[in-house]
Amino acid sequence: MTMFPKLDPILHSELRLAVMSILIGVDEADFTYLKKQTGATSGNLSVQIDKLMAAGYITVEKGFKGKVPHTTCKITTTGQDAFNKYVESLKEYLSASK
Amino acid sequence: MEKSNEQNKEMTAQESLDLISEMLNNNRRCILQNSAKHFILWGALLLVFSIVIYELLHVTRDLRWNLLWFAMPLLGFPLARLLGKNGTAVPQNVISSQLHYIWLAYCAFAVVISIVAMFEMPSCITLLLVALLGFAECSSGLLLKNWPIIIGGFILGVGGAVVAMLVRSEVQLLVFAAGGLILAATGLIVKRQYQ
Repeated sequence: MTMFPKLDPILHSELRLAVMSILIGVDEADFTYLKKQTGATSGNLSVQIDKLMAAGYITVEKGFKGKVPHTTCKITTTGQDAFNKYVESLKEYLSASK
Repeated sequence: MEKSNEQNKEMTAQESLDLISEMLNNNRRCILQNSAKHFILWGALLLVFSIVIYELLHVTRDLRWNLLWFAMPLLGFPLARLLGKNGTAVPQNVISSQLHYIWLAYCAFAVVISIVAMFEMPSCITLLLVALLGFAECSSGLLLKNWPIIIGGFILGVGGAVVAMLVRSEVQLLVFAAGGLILAATGLIVKRQYQ
């Protein structure tokens, strides 16, 4: 099994990549939706979202819907660029290995 | 994506691409299934309102029953809101946003034309509204790249307009009932397509 140390380490993680793959196609998504789509635990998802936010790939808005806490995530332009670059790198690697 | 303690593991290039593809597809399916619910809701409302108003006009011959049409958005929008609140909030993508705007524009046209018609009842109101309904349906089909919806919209718009020209009085309302059926069928097609 080949690993990719040179790929963007922020994106080259299963859960973070899943979150970015969801956010790339939507205006914004809330925490519950991301949790449902990825099947992740709340704790793990929170940690990975914080890492993506720290990298500047997503913005996170925390608020309340009524009395319930509500977290919304949105991909940034930096995040979009990084995601596109990551996908291009993957494609190049795959075509080179054929 | 399966639940596991290895969600943060490193992947091969193929695994990464597969994951991206799976997430994009699941996301698209979830969003379009949510849009389908709205087609079914508005289609069912249009069908019920058309038949009820047709029956009332047929029995009483009182044109004021046409005012009941204004109850449709008053009932439909809160119901659509309820539909959105039921379960996890589904985000919008480019396609669902555009579908939303197309139907919002249709609703605005229909309400304004109906208000104008209250003061000066033009004989072509059914023709106009059904042609616009077909146009909105056809545009939705083009966005979804779905031939049954494109053809359904075309038949509804053009066929409905022709029928509206040929028949008079409350029988024209049955054209809207057919529109409601086609709209609900659109929802069912989208739901099945993205299951």
